[in-house]
Amino acid sequence: MTTASLSGGPEPTARAAVVSLPASARSRVWFQSQTSRRLAFGYLLLAPAALYVLLLVGAPFLFSLYLAVSDANVGEPVAHFIGLENFRSAWEMDTFWIALQNSVVFLVVAAIFKSLLGTSLAFLLLQEFPGKKLIRGLVVIPFTLPVAISVLAWKWMYDSQFSVINWVLSRLGLIGQFGTDAWPIWLGDPHLALAACIAVNVWRTFPFSAIVLLAGFTSVPLEVLDAAKVDGCSFFQRFRHVVAPMIFPILMIGFLFDTVFTLSDLSVVYLLTQGGPANASKILPVLAYQIGIQAGNLGRGAAIALFLVPLLAPAMFLFLRNLRRREY
Amino acid sequence: MSTRLAERSLALRQKDRRRYLLIYAGLTPFVIIALFPIYWMLITAFKQDPDLYRMENIPFWFNMAPTLRHFKILFFQTNYGAWIINTMTIAVWVAIITLVTAVPAGYALARLRLPGGENIGISVFMTYLVPPIILFLPLSRVVATLGLQDSWWALVVVYPTFTIPFGTWLLMGFFKTVPMEMEEAARVDGCGQLSALVRVVLPVSLPGVLTSVIFAFTLSMQDFLYGLAFVAPGDQKPVPVGVPTELIRGDVFFWGSIMAAALLVGLPVAILYNFFLDKFIQGITGGVGK
Repeated sequence: MTTASLSGGPEPTARAAVVSLPASARSRVWFQSQTSRRLAFGYLLLAPAALYVLLLVGAPFLFSLYLAVSDANVGEPVAHFIGLENFRSAWEMDTFWIALQNSVVFLVVAAIFKSLLGTSLAFLLLQEFPGKKLIRGLVVIPFTLPVAISVLAWKWMYDSQFSVINWVLSRLGLIGQFGTDAWPIWLGDPHLALAACIAVNVWRTFPFSAIVLLAGFTSVPLEVLDAAKVDGCSFFQRFRHVVAPMIFPILMIGFLFDTVFTLSDLSVVYLLTQGGPANASKILPVLAYQIGIQAGNLGRGAAIALFLVPLLAPAMFLFLRNLRRREY
Repeated sequence: MSTRLAERSLALRQKDRRRYLLIYAGLTPFVIIALFPIYWMLITAFKQDPDLYRMENIPFWFNMAPTLRHFKILFFQTNYGAWIINTMTIAVWVAIITLVTAVPAGYALARLRLPGGENIGISVFMTYLVPPIILFLPLSRVVATLGLQDSWWALVVVYPTFTIPFGTWLLMGFFKTVPMEMEEAARVDGCGQLSALVRVVLPVSLPGVLTSVIFAFTLSMQDFLYGLAFVAPGDQKPVPVGVPTELIRGDVFFWGSIMAAALLVGLPVAILYNFFLDKFIQGITGGVGK
């Protein structure tokens, strides 16, 4: 039995039964005698949540598949099936490819910076020092502030004329005077707009990376580390064979979670630049919103939004696998 | 003997102090980066307009007397008051809907060993990860069919799509930690299934229930897309949508009022969320370190 459970063999239920034998022996009597009542009660309790989610997430998701193959429009209530026409026309749109490319660049560049910043911050917060709680609380504020609200602060900091960032850079002699070419207009320059949006995303989410990493580190029990030390493991070996495997699933989940929310978030770009200037910072969610709601072309908007699915699918799949592995 | 000990502890303390200084030095840039935009909001909200739009002075402090004018404009010349009321009302409704559905669902999934329960639990949580950008177009049809377009009721219907999955997942974790024996004792004393839940499990899980209420509120506040897409009339918006869409008119920006509006609601939400951040992280990482 022990070898089987070490190799992860038995069913979760079987293992639970082994672990809590006395408790389940006592409760088995009424659990067995009232099985059907218990099940009915259980599904009854589950029903409201399940129905809500099925009706307002499941059905709309299927409906978006239908919209994507129809010519649904805001003006016309009746939609016709038009096959893959929406996908084809998106495929032939220059803006779509720009948006797709920007989305990928956004995701990758932001991920690099937030993991660098997040890791350094996590290592600092791992130490013990006075005032740790307070500093940790202050540093995570960017993540906890509602996104639409913090983006406004950045829009003001990126102001074309009264940007405080430019004021500092100008006093340091790094950029020129207002009105010259050497005065960067962060949100109006095609070369800077996307970078400016990425910076806001990094600012908002690096505390999240740090906290997830911290949660990972603190989940490694000290006894395990001590045991490894007693067994003669070096620092590097302990990290490689004990810490890394234990925190990897948590890191993965945090990383995938962030991928999903970074790829599908429109608020940062929409509020800062609306995708401009001249599509320089357009990403897929903004394009889907502009075509679906502002231009009223529901079908094509849904098709563009669905292009996010293949980008998200690997992340979701890994997420699911990790979740399942933890679930015993 | 005692002097040697004292010397040693002094040396230790000095070593500690040096270590602390290094850590603080390392943390300073992070704290500045994290907090500067918020400080900038704060000072902008209280600066007079001429002080905001002048580049000669050092902008980090008041060059003219602070003013409350921006707040007055906000409350007397915009719909800000209405947005706050909308935000709070939406939050209350979303919290109620979340509790009524997620508490029983979380309990059933954690306790009743339903066949397929584990898979149902995971799929409920996965729905939390279906991004709004994929759902907002079909949901706009749903909202229109229900006749709720152009009212904040649309958001009451839509926000539970992410608060229910998250709340259910969170409560599942909480209910799993309540000892089975407590419930069994209640049943031996003659409680039915439902009253065992209401009288024994719920009171013990009150922190969990409270946590999911807080998240119903803070996660609703993080939304921008649904509010932008479903609520057009100026007086029906919640704060995070109203401020950026109504206070910016064309190229005219009322930066003082915008920052005042953003802070007044944003900061309390951020602080509240701060206290529950660890629960959020535990929630998404699958209840690690419960």
